[in-house]
Amino acid sequence: MDLRYETEHVLLRDSAEKLLHERYDYRTFQNIAASEAGFSRELWEEFARLGWLGLPFAVEDGGAGGGAVELAILMEAFGRHLVIAPYLASVVLGGGLIAALGSPAERRALLAPLIEGRALLAFAHEDNAAPARAQRTRDGYLLQGTKQTVLGGAMADTLLVSARLDGDNTGIFLVPRETRGLTLRPYRLLDGSRAADLELTGAALPGSALLGGNEDAGGAVAAVRERAIAALSADAVGAIAAMVKATVDYAKTRVQFGQPIGNFQALQHRMVRMKIAEEEARAAALLATLSLEGAPQMRARAVHGAKAKIGRCARHVHQEAIQLHGAIGTTGELSLGGYARRLVAYELLFGATRAHLARYGEIIADPQAAADGLLLAPEV
Amino acid sequence: MDLLLSPEDRAFRDEVRAFLADNVTPDMRRAIDLTTGFIVEPDVLIAFHRALDRKGWAVPHWPVEHGGAGWSLVKRYIFDLECGRAGAVAYNTSGSHFVGPVIIHYGTPAQKAQYLPRIRSGEDYWAQGYSEPGSGSDLASLKTRADSDGDSYVINGQKIWTTMAHRANRIFALVRTSSAGKRQDGITFLLIDMDTPGVSVRPIIGTGGDHEFNEVFFSDARVPKANRIGEENRGWEVAKYLLEFERGGRVLAGQVRALFVKLVRLVAARCPHDTDIGARLAAIGTDLDAMEMIDLSVLSTLQAGGNPGPISSLLKLRWSEIRQAIAELAVDAAGSEALRWRTERPFYETLQLPPEEEEIAAAAPRYLNSRAFSIMGGTSEVQTNILAKTWVGL
Repeated sequence: MDLRYETEHVLLRDSAEKLLHERYDYRTFQNIAASEAGFSRELWEEFARLGWLGLPFAVEDGGAGGGAVELAILMEAFGRHLVIAPYLASVVLGGGLIAALGSPAERRALLAPLIEGRALLAFAHEDNAAPARAQRTRDGYLLQGTKQTVLGGAMADTLLVSARLDGDNTGIFLVPRETRGLTLRPYRLLDGSRAADLELTGAALPGSALLGGNEDAGGAVAAVRERAIAALSADAVGAIAAMVKATVDYAKTRVQFGQPIGNFQALQHRMVRMKIAEEEARAAALLATLSLEGAPQMRARAVHGAKAKIGRCARHVHQEAIQLHGAIGTTGELSLGGYARRLVAYELLFGATRAHLARYGEIIADPQAAADGLLLAPEV
Repeated sequence: MDLLLSPEDRAFRDEVRAFLADNVTPDMRRAIDLTTGFIVEPDVLIAFHRALDRKGWAVPHWPVEHGGAGWSLVKRYIFDLECGRAGAVAYNTSGSHFVGPVIIHYGTPAQKAQYLPRIRSGEDYWAQGYSEPGSGSDLASLKTRADSDGDSYVINGQKIWTTMAHRANRIFALVRTSSAGKRQDGITFLLIDMDTPGVSVRPIIGTGGDHEFNEVFFSDARVPKANRIGEENRGWEVAKYLLEFERGGRVLAGQVRALFVKLVRLVAARCPHDTDIGARLAAIGTDLDAMEMIDLSVLSTLQAGGNPGPISSLLKLRWSEIRQAIAELAVDAAGSEALRWRTERPFYETLQLPPEEEEIAAAAPRYLNSRAFSIMGGTSEVQTNILAKTWVGL
């Protein structure tokens, strides 16, 4: 057990902070959010040059061999600077699935262009309205159904679509964006990023479209989603930290009644509570990140717990940050508005706070699970 | 960076589990479970404490030369967590965790030889004499006088909220030895035998019905100067050192997690389908996980020789709130059955109920007592002031 950053973690954090501080300010965010494309190709290529797009992939796949901790460090920096880029969609979800399920040939064909910044991926999974089904044909599959809230869906070159096979099994299908029978309806999300709804009307795919030839991808999907929630939680921690810092800085300089409002005890106590929420959110995100290498139940407890806990912290912090800024806090003039939107989006992505709390509640309803401490002791 | 239990720590965990399985008796466990106040009666714990002492684990966090176990901080965390899981608590933290470390740090060789072995063995039971009727959060305003008279101090005044003074044979107290200069510079830290002539105790019964707090009166009580810790008028510094231990320095996660598990069982028995209660239970669980993680981060920093800074105030503040939330939800889960009030204490001697009803009987007293958590040892408001200044930089 050691919860201190190692040297290379500090280097990664500092280089991410440096680049984003120099290259990415609130105006950049506003321009990207308002743009047609919804992301900056130039910035994305810079990420590729820095090796960030290959961060979580194995060295033999052309990646940097980083783990969940490195990913969390980068995501926290993205959250702190309001970075809008299809990183979670393309690298964490899309790339994560290919790394987990893909054959060596698929990993070569799909990860190299992703890591080099030449191609984007997206994962189409949520389908509450009309679950996607894959029907076997003589020489492949026919996909039918709809998918919602596909992050980065409209900008992706290849979509990874989950679909039911015979019975309860799930497969992941590689669907190029120009595939006939695939319709994308792109839209903005409230944090400025992009998503799309997707309709599959008899999209014909070759047999090789089934990723890794794997007809039982449910476990891999769950693991990749847990990894994504942990990564997104680190992003939320970055945004929370930025809002707390902005509020404390503002309270020290905003003068009313002849003194900085940060002198007033009522406000000091509220800022302490904000800072505690930041600290607890950070702890919960780290717990989720480090528990990813634990047994399934420890993983699920930590990830659902983190999403629920950080959702609550995020709401507390963005509401208080706006209130303590006063009227200016309610506008888009300051970056504060961008952070508030990002944190509301956090609460709603991958299932709302309430749903994760309920899932966590089911896990700890078993007194044995509730009694477990946080250290991981994999059976030897 | 990882959360992995090393093979060595894992073996240690198993050793602790085996020890606890042998030494935590069902009677002791029930008595602890049915304790509605903060402190378990000394009689309940003394046999267990002696078993710990025989094993060399009575004061594991002390330096080895005074009987400490020489454990890493991770081992101490594991020990605390496993004790919590087994339903065991510490015999007397005022001795082992407060005055013990103070004597180790500031005491003379004679004081160390006199007091430390008796804390370790459980022979001495200590109370803490800090608060006074006019000095709560503003502790430095304390008025209990110690007048110099030859080799002794003559003590006059009153302490209040003195936990377990009626069971203690010794008390450590802050007394005023000077009224000149800064208030903090006239305070002295003294060790006092409770059987000193002129020392008397009056009980205070809490709203929860338990007798834990007391008033302690000093009327011309004569205390040898040899019982002074540190220099005369330098007691404030000693007290601050002790507060570090009271507010942090000890991993509470194990104990609080044990309370949480009892709540999980109560909810499962009483209202498993109540979604409001279920959501609150889960939220407390996520709070507990986050705080345990913060505990572990502090421990990680300390283990590497770093200074975790003012975070001990955060731990005090949030752990007390989580314990209060657990006690509060237990009453809500028990519902109208928590209405029935029983005055006889301790419950482990007086209650004759099926096990599932015992927990309900304890719910309301425990809740009422729990309101003191955010007041004792520095109120939440004082902790928040400290955090505003030293942590947030306001």
